[in-house]
Amino acid sequence: MLPTKSRTDVASRRFDWLTVAFLLGAVLLCYYLVPLLALVLSQPPGVVIQRLTRPTVVSAATTSLTASITSAAIASVFGLPLAYWLARTDGRVKTVVTAVVVLPLVLPPIVSGMVLLTVVGPNTFIGGLAAANGLQLTRSVAGIVLAQTFVASPFVVITAKAAFESVDRSLEYASQSLGKSRLTTFRRVTLPLAWPGILAGITLAFARAIGEFGATIMLAYYPRTMPVQIWVSFTTLGLENAFPVAVILVGIAVATLIVLNVLGTNPLE
Amino acid sequence: MLEVNSLTKTYDTFDFGPVDLTVEDEVLSILGPSGSGKTTLLSLIAGIVDTDGGTISLNGDRLNGCPLQERRTGLVFQDGALFPHMTARENIGYAATDRDRITKFASLLEITDVLDRRPPTLSGGEQQRVALARTLAADPDLLLLDEPLASLDAPIRRRLRRELHALFTSLEIPVIYVTHDQRTATALGDRTAIVRDGAIEQVGSPMAVINRPATRFVARFTGNENLFDATVVEQREDTTLLRVGNIRLQATTAAAAGTTVTLCIHPSRIQVHTPNGGDDCHDENTASGTIDRWLTEGNEYRVEIDLDDAPITLTTTIRPPSFDQLPLEAGSRVRVTIPPAAIHLLR
Repeated sequence: MLPTKSRTDVASRRFDWLTVAFLLGAVLLCYYLVPLLALVLSQPPGVVIQRLTRPTVVSAATTSLTASITSAAIASVFGLPLAYWLARTDGRVKTVVTAVVVLPLVLPPIVSGMVLLTVVGPNTFIGGLAAANGLQLTRSVAGIVLAQTFVASPFVVITAKAAFESVDRSLEYASQSLGKSRLTTFRRVTLPLAWPGILAGITLAFARAIGEFGATIMLAYYPRTMPVQIWVSFTTLGLENAFPVAVILVGIAVATLIVLNVLGTNPLE
Repeated sequence: MLEVNSLTKTYDTFDFGPVDLTVEDEVLSILGPSGSGKTTLLSLIAGIVDTDGGTISLNGDRLNGCPLQERRTGLVFQDGALFPHMTARENIGYAATDRDRITKFASLLEITDVLDRRPPTLSGGEQQRVALARTLAADPDLLLLDEPLASLDAPIRRRLRRELHALFTSLEIPVIYVTHDQRTATALGDRTAIVRDGAIEQVGSPMAVINRPATRFVARFTGNENLFDATVVEQREDTTLLRVGNIRLQATTAAAAGTTVTLCIHPSRIQVHTPNGGDDCHDENTASGTIDRWLTEGNEYRVEIDLDDAPITLTTTIRPPSFDQLPLEAGSRVRVTIPPAAIHLLR
């Protein structure tokens, strides 16, 4: 007897769970995209460009870029060795150190600012010593850098650690067995292979630093960074006046995603 | 010459050593199951892992405490450990900047055509050749190889085995080749060391290890499946008379009369005949039996025979020409002959 229903017919009527999953997720995707598009499209481009040239905006952008580049550089100088050490160390110490590195990521930024103030605030030993030598650690670019480095450097350490760990140790042993020193091995084998991951970490740290608000506002209300300028413009002149700086930050965020995808090692994926 | 004395290393769940080993300008195969300590031995000699005790000397120079990069020890890993961001030429040139040297070893290992390709585009066999060329280009005083053929297909492995033996012999340096594959160990090694639980059970020529195993473990690991208890009936001038059940066997190994010993017979050394065959063989080393089962294993047949006069099952291996001439099916009657020289006694 011939079958009355083909398997294809049955399959075509089968409930497609994957489509349902996507439709539910699409609600969340819209929740991400609609506000961003609304922000970008709410103001005519000419008005946004005109406001972008205002001295307060230019000043905030300059301060943010200077401080963020410096923070990313400091995070790299100190974070990369720590990342390498973590990648090549085993045991309980590694677990503890990793937890300490991750702490600034889970700490509310405003609390990070308070924590920093207890160490580098104007009435602390370090803050007083720096001020006596002409370096203000609060209400200064140095303060912004301190706040940004605190919250952004874990991105360098965690991402670079993963990048170093992805380099097979047998490659390093092979290099050393061929008579090359540890430094040469690091320079010619480990670093080139881990480099895309390291660059991704530095990019993420830069993006996190430039968007930093909570800790920065505690340490350095002045000079204003872009997030602080957005807050000031919003509270004093309204939402529309905060748009130009916000558009710059959205642009930087999009550029960060592009860089990460070009590198092919987006640690957030 | 490599000299290893009382070498020890303790891990949380594994104690290695003490191990004593001397390797002249020869190839020593280290054979053992996974987790037996083969790679630990290699890592200790190479300097990847620090020793807890003992000494390692190469050509009279003590290597303990000497950094990996100063040991002049060539290391070849199972996966080749080629630098993936460099071409094959750059990998070899990493150790030797001299262009002639790169050409020499590329030519020797027949990889001239792939020199400008990166490792991920090379086959497993090509990667191992490049890895070996890179190691040899550094002109090592000692060569350590950690199962470099393990991940290769059988035909490539067979071919490389033949080529590597000739190459290693020409190097005139100590070569240690770690493997868990008995065929590779015996094909490549001038001597074979059997490792078990972090200790060396036996060192000897490949044939000596296979035909004269020192322990039950070595016997089993080298394919000696036929291990039976036997009683020594009589010690004659050149031979020993043994009894297993009602079967009498002559062996060439001496043993005291009245003692119990363990017989060890390699399956490949047992001769199988038709029920009326094998007349020219010595009666004392001949027995009748019934085939219990047989199976194909590679290019030979593995046959299990229940003997009539002893409660034992004998395992033999038979090559196709012999197999085809015999009526070998489960239930078939056969006669087996065990040459006296094929019987090894474990005490």
